[in-house]
Amino acid sequence: MTAVDAARSDARRPKRRVKAGTIAWYVILLAFSVVYIGPLLMLVTTSFKTLGEFFKDPTGLPENFGLTNFTYAWEKANFAQYLLNSTLYTVVATAIFVVTSVFVAFPIARGYFKGGQFLLTLYLIALFLPPALIPQFQLILNLGLFNSRTGYILLFLVNPIGIIILVNYMKSIPQELVEAAAVDGCGYYRFMFKIVFPMIRPAIATVTVLHAIGIWNELILPTIYLTNDNLYPVTRGLIAFEGLYGSNWPALAAAVLMLMTPMLLLFLYLQRYIISGLTAGAVKG
Amino acid sequence: MKTGPIVIVKRNYLFARGWKSAAPIFLFLPGFLAYLLIAVGPSLATAVYSFTDATGIRGIAINWIGFDNYHEFLLRGAKSRDNIAALKRTVTFSFFVTIIQFGLGLLFAVLLNQGRKGTMLFRTLFFMPVILGVAIQGLIWKLFLLPRGGPVAQALDLVGTSSELLGGPPRSALAWVIVVQIWSNVGITMVIFLAGMQTIPPSLYEAARIDGANGWQLFRNITWPLLTPAANTNFLLNIVGSLQAWQLFLVLIGYRPGTQVLGYLVFAEGFGQTSGSVTSAFRQGYAAAASVALFMLVLIVALAANFLVTHREKKYLG
Repeated sequence: MTAVDAARSDARRPKRRVKAGTIAWYVILLAFSVVYIGPLLMLVTTSFKTLGEFFKDPTGLPENFGLTNFTYAWEKANFAQYLLNSTLYTVVATAIFVVTSVFVAFPIARGYFKGGQFLLTLYLIALFLPPALIPQFQLILNLGLFNSRTGYILLFLVNPIGIIILVNYMKSIPQELVEAAAVDGCGYYRFMFKIVFPMIRPAIATVTVLHAIGIWNELILPTIYLTNDNLYPVTRGLIAFEGLYGSNWPALAAAVLMLMTPMLLLFLYLQRYIISGLTAGAVKG
Repeated sequence: MKTGPIVIVKRNYLFARGWKSAAPIFLFLPGFLAYLLIAVGPSLATAVYSFTDATGIRGIAINWIGFDNYHEFLLRGAKSRDNIAALKRTVTFSFFVTIIQFGLGLLFAVLLNQGRKGTMLFRTLFFMPVILGVAIQGLIWKLFLLPRGGPVAQALDLVGTSSELLGGPPRSALAWVIVVQIWSNVGITMVIFLAGMQTIPPSLYEAARIDGANGWQLFRNITWPLLTPAANTNFLLNIVGSLQAWQLFLVLIGYRPGTQVLGYLVFAEGFGQTSGSVTSAFRQGYAAAASVALFMLVLIVALAANFLVTHREKKYLG
């Protein structure tokens, strides 16, 4: 490890310099941390205040830590429904996307087709094309899928970055291993599910997490495609709640806190996959 | 054996013979067709729609109107002056976001690649906003930037300036959106730099240290040149990302005159101005033209940046 070695050889230098360096290190990083912790702290204290307390002194500490705002927000808005919707969209779209993508990526990575490289380029180019927003809307509208779960899920069945990550990972598996693993007479379908899927599990985890986060956090597409409150995902529901109760910051803060906490916990658990997804291919140039 | 441009060439014997050997193609198609239909097709069709008067209401005829949308967007009346201003604003926004996010991300990565105690904690903290998404990022900062008695307002009071923050003049509102944009995304820049640093062999540092190099020299002569691929990626990602970014504008300040950027303009023209009242009776042909204008801007800037970056790569990596 570079970092550990660097720290060790630092220790060989005269003691006073190391100490000054360490102090400067902590001072700089703690100063930046204020910008990160501050907004969160404000959110937490606000969510426990009464509206009166909040208007009198927005930055002070709450007098007691009751859950009134949380129950109020939960009752006023349709959050249970929003959470259910977000979960449905995320799970269904991610599952379909990942399975179809593996079947797209495998033949490309293994050279089953002539022109596989061209197909990969096609996926790369898509990252730079203009946003598809308007024709996509016309398409969904004319299919009669505007304001429907099916239409909304349809929008999340593609993700070029996911394909690129899968193809790169599959290329790193030796061909002999794949062939050796295939039982004589094993059908393609069985071969993919019994052998390829288990082999590429890390890449699948990365792509799954990356895609799922994207769907969960999407705000613009539900704003465009969903007008029925019962179909809203969490993001759209939060903004709708803000529209109605925007001046009641304690309730709004409680709602935000409730909806972001599960995300934060999941993030701490899955951090490795998220980061590997975001940095995949980025450093090879 | 030919089946159009795509031909099964080898190894299909592994699974089956006869018609079953086409299984890889059959299973390849759903994902690929979805991709053409939902992503590439619509993306390219944006250019076609930009020459029409499409509305977004089902059943109304769409007419070909040539370059009218472009003419109106760039040259006609007061609105086109607003559009040009939005274009300039997009560039300004992108310039500050790119430069600051790049610098800050690099600083974080350098500091958090030294293996000191607390490293993981800081990394997690700086990366955390990335996974929250625009709705939560925006709402958290809207509260933090409360103009009456909020923490930032009070801190500004202490140094003797009072500000309406997000509600203030367009310039200051824009500046605060830049702050939130960077806060939200600098974590990505940081982890890409960190991943790049992990590929640098430690032996290089050891050798240089034996020769008596100091911290700055190590950075200047080893880290920075060998970080070229990560730096290039970050530079391009930041530029393209910030030129297209507008969602925080929607959450933080809404569609306010004097603060729009091009991406928001496309959305507002095509789908209505506020998040609460979307009807589909808007000018989607015109919005498509605006979105082609945005694409051209991204293309020109990205190509220029790419030229710079390849030049630098040649210099350092040969």
